[in-house]
Amino acid sequence: MRGTIRDVNELAVLDEINRLLDVTDDAAAGALRQVLETLVMESALRLHYSQHPEAKPTLAEVALALAAQDGSPLADLPEVVAAAANAVTARHPDADADDVLLWAEAQLAMSA
Amino acid sequence: MRTVVLDNEAVQAMTSPRHPKHRVVAAHLEGATTRRRRGRPVEIVVPTAVRVESGWDRSHPGSAALNRFRVHDHALDRAAADVAAAIRTSTSASVADRHIGAAVRSSTSDEIVVLSSDPRDMVAVCAPVEVRVVAV
Repeated sequence: MRGTIRDVNELAVLDEINRLLDVTDDAAAGALRQVLETLVMESALRLHYSQHPEAKPTLAEVALALAAQDGSPLADLPEVVAAAANAVTARHPDADADDVLLWAEAQLAMSA
Repeated sequence: MRTVVLDNEAVQAMTSPRHPKHRVVAAHLEGATTRRRRGRPVEIVVPTAVRVESGWDRSHPGSAALNRFRVHDHALDRAAADVAAAIRTSTSASVADRHIGAAVRSSTSDEIVVLSSDPRDMVAVCAPVEVRVVAV
């Protein structure tokens, strides 16, 4: 494990938020819970990838996974999704997997 | 709400970065996070019998990393055990697979995705509830 001080600090914050999430069971806190859980999941993944860089999926792989979860025909077109990921990130480096799927769908629609 | 249910293989894959399917399952978890960031509710669930089968002990120090992914337990309580016991399939589904079926049947989500290495068995244990089984 290649931990840095920043990693250790982030880990401590993550564990604390996780503990708070486990004892927060008020329905009114649902929205906050959604935000905090998302933050925890993102941070957990980022930490995981920092410790295991080879485990990090590419943006195209994440987009393909989402396409499969959605039942989208794009799930069977990995080359289209990969091309879309390249095209989108060339213009928008911070694009996410949904941006890739939107781009891929647009490309398919234009070529139909 | 989308619920993503993990089977034994999906958990095993996520447990070890050296597992050949690790990146695939990580991509699914990251995809769920992407949707959540956009405000769409997605929860990730593991039936506790699946945790038993895959050896995921949350109290073990080695599970700390996996525990941080906010994967929620579906407990095999009395009601779930009754449903799981009643599931009859043409194949001899494991206890863990039948618990997946029970978890799916008790879910209030309008969209259920099962990450599994055995899509055919998953469809069988989840029937008549329609689920989208994604092969990992």
